[in-house]
Amino acid sequence: MMSLGAIFFYIISAFILLMGILAVTTRKIFRSAIYLLGSLIGIAGLYFWLEVEFIAAVQIVVYVGGIVVLIIFSIFLTQQSGKEMPRTNLSRNIFSLLAVIAGFLLSCSLIHQYGFEAGSQPFDNAVSRIGLYMLNTGKDGFALPFEAVSILLLAALIGCIVIAMKSVPTKSTK
Amino acid sequence: MGSGSLIALMIAAVAFSGIAILISKILLKTTHNIHKGEPYECGIPTIGPSWIQFSIGYYLFALIFLIFDVELIFIFPWAVVVKQLGWVAFVEILIFLFILFMGFLYAHKKKALKWM
Repeated sequence: MMSLGAIFFYIISAFILLMGILAVTTRKIFRSAIYLLGSLIGIAGLYFWLEVEFIAAVQIVVYVGGIVVLIIFSIFLTQQSGKEMPRTNLSRNIFSLLAVIAGFLLSCSLIHQYGFEAGSQPFDNAVSRIGLYMLNTGKDGFALPFEAVSILLLAALIGCIVIAMKSVPTKSTK
Repeated sequence: MGSGSLIALMIAAVAFSGIAILISKILLKTTHNIHKGEPYECGIPTIGPSWIQFSIGYYLFALIFLIFDVELIFIFPWAVVVKQLGWVAFVEILIFLFILFMGFLYAHKKKALKWM
């Protein structure tokens, strides 16, 4: 008899895998993005299962709320967002299957090689701890990296405006 | 208790919605006509397909949203400990937000947030 935690782990994992398979096999690209959304929500569920709530919140805010929105935007920017994609041919199917098997074997060998063992002491992952380290100006604090992150984000913002504003067309589009 | 009740709750939740859908499937007499497939059943007929290409300029909105989304992540842990740390934390977040506000001003000045 499996423990309840294990049962939940397998349910969540099956959900993630199912959504991932659907995302790559569906022929409508918008549905593919929605399945990706489901898969990422499943990963957030896995983080909740691991009781790392902050990481789960980050996963939902950044990946589900940000990256998928970005992907959906870029789908809407293409002309063929509503049409079905053409069927893939046999050689492409075979090679993608081989790539999947190679990736699977690589992850298996890595897990086997390092044999991740459960730690003995409980892992303190309180958000307040993250906050204390992040704002600590002392020797083992991360106040300077924290401020550097804002510079990084500023650079990203300016960069995306400079690059993307060039391609903004004139008012002819709807 | 505990695990047993949780499983019972899950089964009850799935059964509750599943049985409702199943009953409506059995009892309903379904009809199909062309008007049911339209976005608005009554009103002006829609012109052209709904899958139109959007202006590329809106991609900037998504990109800028993503950056402020990431900024939000750093405010969460700050908000938890700000009372504990007091003024130091407050000044730090002010510097953080000020730098990002410069970015917002830049976006505004470049008219990146203008509706087109």
